[in-house]
This record gives sequence, structure tokens and C-alpha cells, in this order.
Amino acid sequence: MAAALAVDPPVAAPVVDDQALISAVLAGRSDAFEEIVIRYERAVYNLAVRTLRDSTEAQDATQEAFFKAYRALGSFRPGAKFSTWIFTICYRLCCDRLAKRKRFSGDELPDRADPSAGPAALAERNDEALRLRAAIDALPEKYRAVITLYHLQGRQYEEIASVLNLPLGTVKTHLFRAKEQLRKALMP
Amino acid sequence: MTHDDDFADLDRMLAALPLEEPPAGLRARIMTATVFRPEPAVRPWETWLIGTFVGLAAWLAWLLASAPNAGERFVDTTNRLIEAGGLNSLTTVLWVGVGISAAWWISQLTFPSARRIRIR
Repeated sequence: MAAALAVDPPVAAPVVDDQALISAVLAGRSDAFEEIVIRYERAVYNLAVRTLRDSTEAQDATQEAFFKAYRALGSFRPGAKFSTWIFTICYRLCCDRLAKRKRFSGDELPDRADPSAGPAALAERNDEALRLRAAIDALPEKYRAVITLYHLQGRQYEEIASVLNLPLGTVKTHLFRAKEQLRKALMP
Repeated sequence: MTHDDDFADLDRMLAALPLEEPPAGLRARIMTATVFRPEPAVRPWETWLIGTFVGLAAWLAWLLASAPNAGERFVDTTNRLIEAGGLNSLTTVLWVGVGISAAWWISQLTFPSARRIRIR
């Protein structure tokens, strides 16, 4: 009787890895997909918003990326990194959107960056994060993507190369140039 | 001095850069578009199948309708089918009616389900 009434000691919720969550989703558990969304929503949105420089479009791209991932979840290769996969999907969608913008506007590189993001204006901004974000937004698209993924992926060059479908050397070169431009913008 | 040393301050800033919060409601939008998305009433391959059958039926109907004396032939064929099925007899029609109504009433009956064992 006493054993039946005994309360189990509180146990920390086990951290479920992505592969287990994916298996649960494929078995029909919708709450497992919500957990995946909770884990990656912010990162995917940040990649989209830095690449597209437009919050509304970034939201649409994020939603579309998760939708595509959900539909293709059965083809996800076990052992692969889910973050790399979802970032790849999101980045391709962003590239499609940028290409559409380019077609419609005819611009060489669509630019929706904050027009006040020049070095002088940046210097006046006190908030380091704001200045850094503005400086990243002012980078050309190829450098912007590399630096954003460098930030999101925790400096994993191979993962960045995989998402962007670029050789490792090119990623390193882009990253070096992106950092140079950022340093010039932030520390004149 | 390496490149890493050159960018030490920048790397520190990047590492400290917080991610932007996604707008409220984005998660709900994602869930609505994925897990809670209603299943389409008809799947694409079913649409194609139904379309093909409808097209085929329309083509056959047009062939029959455009044949000479199509109306008379249709009436003749219908009469012959009724005769073959014995539907020109009132008794047969009555028994068919009784059979259909009995089948309908049986389909409306409900029986107590077998005892279910709850699995924990």
C-alpha cells in the first residue's frame, strides 16, 4: 500500500534527439513535430530574415520550409543532421524568392537593407547587436548567408558548405571577406 | 598573428549576438500548415481517375446519342432489360421492394460491441 502511494522522485525530462523525434512524427505523433518546430523555428526564421531582409517574406519562407520538411520527412536520411537539412531547404526557398524579386525588379541584387546602415550611421548606434545585424544586412547576399550560417551553425564549416552547396574553400573565402567587410563597417 | 586573432572581437560579437525572436503566431501558422492541415477530400490520383471515367462516360454517351434512331434503340433496350429481369411483373417488383427495405432496416440496427480491454 505504501509503495502504491509513494510518489516518484522528480526526474528531469530526457532530451530526445532529432532522429527519435522524426521517428515519432513518422509514427503519427503530431506533438513530436511541434517539438521539432520549437527547436528550429528561431534559427530557420533568422536564416530567412537575414537572407531575405524582409520579415513578412521570412515568415512565409520559414513556414514553407517546415511544410516541405514535414512532407519529405520520410526521405530524411538517418544519421544526417536535421539542422543542416532544414537550413538547406530554407536557404533554397530564400534563393528562389530572391531570384523572383530580381526578375520582377530587374535589380542585380535586390536590396532591402536599411538605407541608414552606412558606417557613419552604424557608428552612431549604441546597441552592438543592432549594429552587427545592420552590418550583416548590408553585406552582399553570398556573404550574408555564410556569416548567418556561421552564427547559427556554431562555426561548422562543413555544414555551411553543405547548406550553401559550395566547396569548403569557397565558404572559408566568403567567410573571410564577410568578416573583413563587417570589421570595416563596425570598427572603422 | 592568425586570421582568427584578427577577427577575435568580431567573433566575440557574433557569438554574443542573440537570435531574433520570430513573430508571435508563426509557430501556430507552421503547425496549421503541416500537422493540422486537413487532408484533401480527393487525392490527385483519384482526381485523375474520376476525370478519366467521366471523360470516357461522356464519350460513350455522345457515341450512343449520335447513333441513328438512338431514342428508339434506348427504349427497346430498356424494355428488353426489364423483361429479362422480370420487372414487368408486379409480384417481382414487390418482392424486390421488400428485399431492399429489409436490407436497409438491417443496416440501421446496432449491436452491442464486444467487451473492450483497455490497454495501459
